[in-house]
Amino acid sequence: MKRHRIRSLVANTAVAVLTAVTLVPLVWMVTVSFMPRGASSHFPPPFWPERWSWENYYELLVRRNFDGAWFDYRIMPALWNSLAVAAIATALGLLLTVPAGYAFAKLRFTGRERLLKVMIAALVVPGQVAMLPLFLLFKELGLVNSYAGVILPGLAGIFSLLFVRQAALSIPEEMLDAARLDGASEARIFRSIVLPLLAPITVTLALFLFLGSWNDFLWPLIILTDQHKYTLPVAVAAIVREHAADGELMMAAAVVTTMPVLLIFLPLQRYYISGLLSGSIKG
Amino acid sequence: MLATACSSHTAHKALRFWATSYEGDYAPHLMTSFTARTGIDVEVQSLPSTAAHEKMLTAFAGREMPDVFVLPSGWIAEFSLIGAVAPLPSPRLVSDVIPAALAMARLHGRNYGVPWSAAPQVQFYRRDLLATIGLDTPPLDWESWRRMGRDLKRKRPDDFVVLTLLNWPDMLFTLLYQSGAVLLRDRDTRGNFRTPEAEQAFAFYASLFAEGLAPRALSTEVQDGFAAFAQGRYAVWPSWPSLLLDLHRRRAELPAERWGVARLPGPRGPGPTAMIASNLCVSTQTDQPDAAWALVRHLASPASELRFQSLIGNLPARASVWTAPQLNQPVLRPFAEQMRQPAITPKIIEWERVQVEVQLVAERMVRGLLTIPQALATIDGRIDQILAKRRSLVEAGRIA
Amino acid sequence: MTRQERTAWWLTGPVLAIVAGVFLLPVLLALALSVTDYSIYAFASRANVQFVGLGNFIGLLRTPLFWRALANTALFAVLGVPMAIGLSLAAALLLHDKTVRWKPLWRVALFAPYVTSVVATAVVWRFLLNTRYGLINYALTAVGLPTVDWLGNPHASIPAILLFVTWKIFGYNMIVFTAALAAVPQDLMEAARLDGASRWGRFRHVTLPAIGPTLLLASVMSVAGFLQIFAEPYVMTLGGPAQSTVTVLYFMFDEGFKWWNLGQASAVALILFVLILAVTNVQTWLGRRNQWL
Repeated sequence: MKRHRIRSLVANTAVAVLTAVTLVPLVWMVTVSFMPRGASSHFPPPFWPERWSWENYYELLVRRNFDGAWFDYRIMPALWNSLAVAAIATALGLLLTVPAGYAFAKLRFTGRERLLKVMIAALVVPGQVAMLPLFLLFKELGLVNSYAGVILPGLAGIFSLLFVRQAALSIPEEMLDAARLDGASEARIFRSIVLPLLAPITVTLALFLFLGSWNDFLWPLIILTDQHKYTLPVAVAAIVREHAADGELMMAAAVVTTMPVLLIFLPLQRYYISGLLSGSIKG
Repeated sequence: MLATACSSHTAHKALRFWATSYEGDYAPHLMTSFTARTGIDVEVQSLPSTAAHEKMLTAFAGREMPDVFVLPSGWIAEFSLIGAVAPLPSPRLVSDVIPAALAMARLHGRNYGVPWSAAPQVQFYRRDLLATIGLDTPPLDWESWRRMGRDLKRKRPDDFVVLTLLNWPDMLFTLLYQSGAVLLRDRDTRGNFRTPEAEQAFAFYASLFAEGLAPRALSTEVQDGFAAFAQGRYAVWPSWPSLLLDLHRRRAELPAERWGVARLPGPRGPGPTAMIASNLCVSTQTDQPDAAWALVRHLASPASELRFQSLIGNLPARASVWTAPQLNQPVLRPFAEQMRQPAITPKIIEWERVQVEVQLVAERMVRGLLTIPQALATIDGRIDQILAKRRSLVEAGRIA
Repeated sequence: MTRQERTAWWLTGPVLAIVAGVFLLPVLLALALSVTDYSIYAFASRANVQFVGLGNFIGLLRTPLFWRALANTALFAVLGVPMAIGLSLAAALLLHDKTVRWKPLWRVALFAPYVTSVVATAVVWRFLLNTRYGLINYALTAVGLPTVDWLGNPHASIPAILLFVTWKIFGYNMIVFTAALAAVPQDLMEAARLDGASRWGRFRHVTLPAIGPTLLLASVMSVAGFLQIFAEPYVMTLGGPAQSTVTVLYFMFDEGFKWWNLGQASAVALILFVLILAVTNVQTWLGRRNQWL
C-alpha cells in the first residue's frame, strides 16, 4: 500500500511539473504582453507585471492618428483574413474530401486501387518541391496575391482523403446494399446513410483543416505581397523581424495569434484528440 | 492606409506606395498634403527591410507591384534590368540632385529613380566616454582610432567599444572602400578580393573583434542597440542619419550633450564610406503613370524633403534643400562632408547578394573558422559562382 | 459504366483534379526547372533561360552553404527525433500510469503547444532564449549553472531551436503513444508479472514489442518533419549565427524567392525529396528486418 502511495505521489508530481514547465512559455507570453514597454528588458526577467497595461494591445490593434496620418500594424485585418481563409478552406476541404473518401472506401470503380497506391506514394513527396513551380503557374494564372492563390494548394487533401476513407471503411456493406436494393440512388445513400455515420469524423477533419489553414505560414508568406491580404502569421512575422527590440509588443502579437486557436481547441479537444487516436495506430 | 481626401470627387483610384523602415512608417505624413492638393489617395505600405527584396521580386513576378516604391541605389541596376523600374520622363526631375547620389541612380546614361535621401555612414560617439581618455572627437585614421579603442577597453573591460554586428555588411564594406580596394574585375564578372588593399581592410576588421572591441553578435541577439549605446556598453556606433531620430525621441535615456557625430576613419584619414541612397521609383506595371510621377515630384520637392528631415532625420539628396536653415546644424556637418565622398559600387544585379555572401564569409572568419587568406579565396570563389550567369551573358555580348 | 462508377467519378473528380493541378503538375515542372538556369535574368528575356543538364546539381555540390545546410538539417533530425520521441513516450507512460489522476486535464495541457502557430510561439521562445533577459538562462543561474548564449553561439543555436521544436510537437506523439499503450495486451502483462519480471523487464519484453510498430511509424514521420524545418530559423535566427541554422528548406527559400534562382532552388527541392524518400525507406526496411512491422 505504501509503495502504491509513494508511486502515486511521484507520478502525479512528475505529471504536474511537466505540465507546468510546458505551460510556462504560454503563460509568460500572456503576462509579458500586459507589461508596460521596456519592462521586460531587465535582469532578472520579471514574470509578473508590476503594472498591468493594455498599451501593447492598443498599439498593435488600434489605428492611431498622428497629425492627420493613420498608423496601423494591420493586425485586425490580418485576423479577419485568417478567419475568412480558414473558414473557406475548411468548408471547401470538407466538400472535396469527404465524398471522395467515401467513394474510395465503398464504391467500386476501375482504377480505384491504382489511384490509391499513387496517392499514398505521393504522401512521401514534401509539399515544398511543388512550391516554386506552383508560384510560376499561379503567376501565369494571375493568382499571385489572391485569396484563391492561398487556399487552392491546401485543397489537395490527400491526407484528409485517406483519413475519411479509413473511417468510411467501417460502414457496414449490408446497409448500403440494402438501400441499393430498395432502389435508393447513390446520392440519396450518401446523404441519408453515409453522412450521418461520418459526422464525428467530419467534425474532427474540420478542426484539422481549420487549424492547419490558420497556422499555415510558408505558402501565404510566398504568395501574398499586399499587407491588406496578409494572414495573421505572415503579418506577425513581418513585424517580428523588424521590431525585435519590442518584446512586449511581440508577445501581444503572439497572444493575438494563438488565443483564437486555443479558444477553439479547448472546448473541442475531445474531437481532435479522438480523431488523432482513431486514424493513427493503423497508420 | 488611406489619407483623408478633401476634394469630393476623384477620378483616380488610390496610388500604392511601398517603402521600408522609417521611410515607410512615416511616409503617411507626407501624403496628406498631396491628397489635399490633387484629391488622389495614397496607400502606404511599410515593408520590413529584411524581407523587402523577396517581397518586391515576387510582387513583380505576380504583376502586383505598387505604383511608386523606394529602392536603395544598390538595387537599381537589378530592378531596372528586369524591367521593373520606369526611366525618368524628364531630366528636370533630378536637375538639383547631389551629383554623387545621382550617379548611383543612373544606368547606361538613363536615370531610373529620383534620389530621395542620401545616408552616408558616419560614426556616432559618446563624448563623455571619450573624455575619460582625454579625447574630444575620435581620431580619423585607423591606427589612432584602434588605439582609442584599446584605451577605452582597458578602462572598461566588460564593455565593448564599437557597435557593429556580424550580419550587417556596411562596416566591412566601408573599410574596403576606404582602403581603395577594387572589388570586382573583368568587367565586373569576377571577384577581386585577393589584393593587399582588401587584405588590409579584412585584417583591420578582424582585429576589432579579436581585441574585444566589437561583439561577436548578430542583430537578432542585440535586442535594443540604442539602450546599449545609451547605457555606455558601446562608445562608438557606426550608423546612419536615421539614428538621429532615435537620439531625439529617446533623449531622456541619452541627453544631447553626451553624444557627437564624426566621419569614419580611413587608413590615412577619412575617405569614401558606404552610402545608402534611397530612390523614388515608378513601376513599369502601373496603370496611372501620370499620377505616379506627380506623387514622385511631390515627395522629392524641397518642402517634403524638409518635412521628412524633421520627422525622421533623413538627409535630402537635393542640393538646394541643404541651404535651408534647419539643415545648418553642426551635428549634420559630418554627414554633408561625407556625402561628397561616397563609395562607388559596382552596378550589377547580383550586388546585394555579393554583399550578403561576403559578410557571411567575414562572419566565419571573425568566429575563427577561417583565416584571412582563406576567407578572401572563399569569397572570390563564391563571387565567381554567383556571377557565372552574368559572365556567360557578358561574354556572349548580351549585356554590357 | 455502372451507377457506382458514375457516382464515384463525380465524388472524386474535383479533388483528384486539384491534386493533379496543384501537386503533380508542379512536381513535374520542378523536374524541368531543375535542369535549367532559370534566374532573375529570365525577367529581362525568356531567351536568357538555358538548359544546363546536371549543372545545377553539380553547382550545388560546390556550394559550401548547401553542404552546411545538409549538415544542419541532418543534425536537427539526428538530435531532434530522439528528443521528441523520447519525451512523447515518457509523457505517454506517465499519463498511462494507473496512479495518475485528472488525466484529461494533463492531456489537454500537454497537447496545447501543438495547436499553436509556429510563428507566434517562435517569437515567444526567441524571448525565452534571450541571453540576458530570458527565463531559461534565469532558470539556469537559479540552479547554479552558467548561462548559455543560446541564439548567439553557433554551437548552441541548434539545441536552442530543438528545445522549442520539441516543446511544440511532443504532444502529438504523446497522444499516439497513449493509444498504443492502451492496446498492449493485458494478459501478456499479467503473465509477465506472475513470472516475476521486473518493471523494466516487463517494459522491454511486453510493452516495447507491442508498441514497436507505432514507435517506428512515429519516428519515420518525425524524421520527415525534422528534415523540413523552416519557420523556426526564419523567425528566430535568420539562419544564423554563422549560418548554423540554415536548413535545406531555408536554403531553398532564399535561393528561390530572395535571389530568384528558381532553377537551382528546384534542384534543391528535388534533392530534399530524394533525401526524405531515402531516409523513410531505410527506416521502414530496418523496421521490417527487426520485425517491427
